[in-house]
Amino acid sequence: MKLLSFLLIAATAVPLLTSCSSASRKAPDAPAAAVGGLSKDDGKTVQGREDDLDEYAAASVADPLEPLNRATFLLNEGLYTVLLRPISKVYKTVVPKPIREGAHNAFENIKFPIRLVNNTLQGNFQRAGQETGKFLVNTVVGVGGVMRPSEGIPALAGIPPADTDQTFAKWGIGHGAYLVLPVLGPSSLRGTVGLAGDYALNPVSWVSIYFGGYAWTLAIPSANSLRALPYQMDQYDAATGDALDRYLAARSAYIQYRHAVSLK
Amino acid sequence: MTRRLLLFCVLLTAWGKNLSASTATAEKRLQVAIKNVLDIAQSAPSDSALAESIGPVLEKYLSFSAMTRRAVGPGWRQFSKGDQNEAIRLFTTLIIRTYSKKLTPGEYPVIKFKTATAPAPGRVDVPTTLLYRGSTYNVTYRMEQDEGWRVTDVVIEGVSLIANYRTQFDAQFKKGGAGAVISSLTQSVARPQ
Repeated sequence: MKLLSFLLIAATAVPLLTSCSSASRKAPDAPAAAVGGLSKDDGKTVQGREDDLDEYAAASVADPLEPLNRATFLLNEGLYTVLLRPISKVYKTVVPKPIREGAHNAFENIKFPIRLVNNTLQGNFQRAGQETGKFLVNTVVGVGGVMRPSEGIPALAGIPPADTDQTFAKWGIGHGAYLVLPVLGPSSLRGTVGLAGDYALNPVSWVSIYFGGYAWTLAIPSANSLRALPYQMDQYDAATGDALDRYLAARSAYIQYRHAVSLK
Repeated sequence: MTRRLLLFCVLLTAWGKNLSASTATAEKRLQVAIKNVLDIAQSAPSDSALAESIGPVLEKYLSFSAMTRRAVGPGWRQFSKGDQNEAIRLFTTLIIRTYSKKLTPGEYPVIKFKTATAPAPGRVDVPTTLLYRGSTYNVTYRMEQDEGWRVTDVVIEGVSLIANYRTQFDAQFKKGGAGAVISSLTQSVARPQ
């Protein structure tokens, strides 16, 4: 049971396509060439039919541990197929949609410290203020964050969330080596440290940290993991479905996504 | 000097007008394409019926030759004409299958169009937000003039479909050239769903 709880909790952090933020600076972890852009590395504009073949240079990240990463990737795929995807299906079948959405909203709302601290560390004080307003409105009017009335307030709607990996990117820190973490999936050296930062800033983890040792403390993080699981499985399948090489597809999607997040 | 400045301003205005006409035309075309696709998704009685009927519509609005060429990259020049045609055929099948799997018959996503931009002559990026099954996604459609405006890439939350395949094709091409790319495409298309 404890193992199942661990797997569920760990799955919460599957970082493939989760959390993001904003700002318009160019990040240091840009793919080898602007994806889909017209500027090549030499800065010349490319308009010719044939020359534009260079346009989509493969997103690059150092992968010195590829054999180990591929092995971990295979292990994770097995775990997703045998355990996590069936759990996700049961959860979607058993729990009515309004309750699932309410739980999702509440757990996203409670992650407010991650967004507040990282916006502040990025010097984005306006967004930190907006996040505070959004949290207050959703917590008070939205009954503990179960509903999201802030979406109806233009000044508080559509604020891109922030995370620790993004803060590192904005500080000019590169990805480091690409890593596939057991259960958690695609990441990087920087992403893994960022994940630890997010974990420390997430009030859901505080329960286990402060009351560690009691079985009941696993209930809240497990519920958090459970509500996130269907979204993460969908995102994972979207990134790797119909791929020629699922490992490369997941790596490319992760790097492109983190690059896009670092530009927000 | 004044005359040159005036000429420059006139040219700039004309270019701007032309650009905004391009973005409007491309955006309109995309709206029609999305409506056609969603109408099919709405009326299709089953997944298999959806997959069958959506193919011709996608072939009308997507430029599969440009998508395949870009996904393969510079190695495309080393493909024979026959290899190129075969790669386009297989990639078209793969994309149509991938796309049709993402739609559920009877479910309608809500799409909001944002201001389109023209990054270069003959090209338009149309950013949208898509609300589907309770989640919101930022989706940008990259369009080019290829027998009318056609979609050449779809970028979901910063992840480009073509760049994603490019990473995979690159690896195959380095292994065994055009033959390896076509072989991996054939295997992927033949994989049971």
